[in-house]
Amino acid sequence: MKKIIAREKLPELWAHLSEQGPLFLPIQDGPVVLFQPWFEGAEINLDAVNSAVSPKDLFLPREETFMHYRCSGKQLEMTPVEPGEPVTAFGVHPCDLKAIELLDRVFLGQEPPDALYQQRRENTTVIALSCSAADPFCFCGDFGVDPADAPGADIMAHLSDDSMLFESRTEKGAALLEQAGDLLADAPEETFSREAVQTADFNLQLEGLAENLKDRFDDPAWDQLYKSCLGCGVCTYVCPTCYCFDVEDFGHEAEGERFRCWDSCMYGHFTEMAGGHNPRPERKERVRQRFLHKLQYYPEIHDEIACVGCGRCLRSCPVNLDIVQAIKALGGEKIEKR
Amino acid sequence: MAEHNLEQIEKIREAVKQDLLGGRIDLLLGWEKGHYWWQSRPLFAQSEEDLEKLAWDSFCAVNLSRYLLEELKEHNKVGVLVKGCDARAFNRLLQDNMVPRDRVILYGLPCPGMLDYDRLAAEAGSVLLSITEENGQVVLITAEGEAKADRDEMLLDKCRGCIYPDPAVYDQMLLPPQGEKESPERFKKVEELEAMSAQERFAYWEKELSRCLRCYACRQACPYCSCRECFVEQENPRWQGRAYQPSENFMFHLIRAYHGAGRCIDCGECERSCPVGISLQELNRKLIKDINELYGDYEAGLDAELEPPLLTYRPDDPAAFSEK
Repeated sequence: MKKIIAREKLPELWAHLSEQGPLFLPIQDGPVVLFQPWFEGAEINLDAVNSAVSPKDLFLPREETFMHYRCSGKQLEMTPVEPGEPVTAFGVHPCDLKAIELLDRVFLGQEPPDALYQQRRENTTVIALSCSAADPFCFCGDFGVDPADAPGADIMAHLSDDSMLFESRTEKGAALLEQAGDLLADAPEETFSREAVQTADFNLQLEGLAENLKDRFDDPAWDQLYKSCLGCGVCTYVCPTCYCFDVEDFGHEAEGERFRCWDSCMYGHFTEMAGGHNPRPERKERVRQRFLHKLQYYPEIHDEIACVGCGRCLRSCPVNLDIVQAIKALGGEKIEKR
Repeated sequence: MAEHNLEQIEKIREAVKQDLLGGRIDLLLGWEKGHYWWQSRPLFAQSEEDLEKLAWDSFCAVNLSRYLLEELKEHNKVGVLVKGCDARAFNRLLQDNMVPRDRVILYGLPCPGMLDYDRLAAEAGSVLLSITEENGQVVLITAEGEAKADRDEMLLDKCRGCIYPDPAVYDQMLLPPQGEKESPERFKKVEELEAMSAQERFAYWEKELSRCLRCYACRQACPYCSCRECFVEQENPRWQGRAYQPSENFMFHLIRAYHGAGRCIDCGECERSCPVGISLQELNRKLIKDINELYGDYEAGLDAELEPPLLTYRPDDPAAFSEK
């Protein structure tokens, strides 16, 4: 099913969709764009190439309460949090959706699936948005992402100067378009043509990289690569494919909630064990873990590199220590054949 | 890159090369180019070959002094290229007894202020290919032609209020000084915040801090955050929870800011490092302003001999405990 709407009528569509349940879309918040729930007067920024933080937040929230507890005397009462209303994610770019598919393999690809993640995934209709432009940090082309198409979307959307086109890909997507009624008009079969988006080419040689890295755990390159790392968690938190989490309580002994939240392998406490031993005591081991997880460990299990070329680490690392630098330092750069 | 700039790099390289190859220092902390012309990242040079990568341009924003905390564990004597703020950061670490002065050689680089790529790109309008600089102007080169912009307008936020571009401490000054600058608007935003009602101010910070990811980039980039163990990581008692609640956001940022009272050198690395653009420098500047008003003007990091006001006691301290 193909539907079309004039660009100036989009706010009506957003208002309508948000009546059905939370509608997340790229909203300008101060100097950055973030996926946030729509509200009256929100400044929607569909022209932003990438949100500052990836929309993985929709499925693996930075904080997610799953249980309330209350304790009185020897009585302990635990109440699980009920699943929320159906959610619509509007304007997810192909690289970010590809990243969510990589997360699916982790959270849904084995028994038992992760119930919290599964519930959010099933509860969400994803309207993906093809990219009308790339910024200099985009290098998704290296990871088989097509900026014009997101195969895993419920609805694929394309934006032009004056209109937005929707094409349903799943039943869930078709139902959403149906339900929007008169707000959307039937779209002509021929869709508007767009110029191909050019992404950055860093001359990377990714084929065989995971295999080659098996022998590079003690490579001297690590001794240089980690040096500039500040040990903050920016890269892991803006990254669409990082998924480590921790579980904590908020409240006090008598009453509170248990939640899970993002954690980062860049933090010293991440692998610290009871008794104080830490198998990754310094920044070197932590930096190595982060990059090997993406480039070797994940591919060993799932046959794909856990990077989608969104470029957020290239943009946001305060000292420009990013995955491209790591790949190049570890033999992942194409060497010209003579 | 402008010839003027290449000359400067050559001058810097010659000076440090003698010391590195002659064994006066074991390591030089400088900058090298990243993937992009607008990124200059830390360089850890130990050889002549490493020094070939040395960069000095309008994008060397990263404060290098903080790396001394780690590098002095491995190296006996370390050379550091220091801009004005890097030098004040060094004094900060010195005052906290975190670095021994005699194991560091400081090469002073008076700083013209570092440029903000996002500003340049926005000003250019279309795809920005490169820039050149001349007479206080930046020439933006795009596929569609050239445009000029006032250099001061293209600076990083952190460089806009800079008063001391020249290193306050150094062993060898490598370039001609820039001279002190005026910053009439340094506390403008703070004054705007002060003029708000308490409720308005709370709402402002609650919204700003709601973006906080707790990635701790602000802390990790900060020269006053040099504690071996931060209160955030302390387990017993546990001060800082991980929930993304206003109370936890305020806990982290306000406690951090208070720890910087009289110690923050106003380098702005916290704000530059923040991936979600929280106006952290204003928190620090509020405390700088308060310290100035309560204890007399004090610029942290300018003089390592001058104790920070909150680390000293004088019988005639202007702010008595009992005063409101």
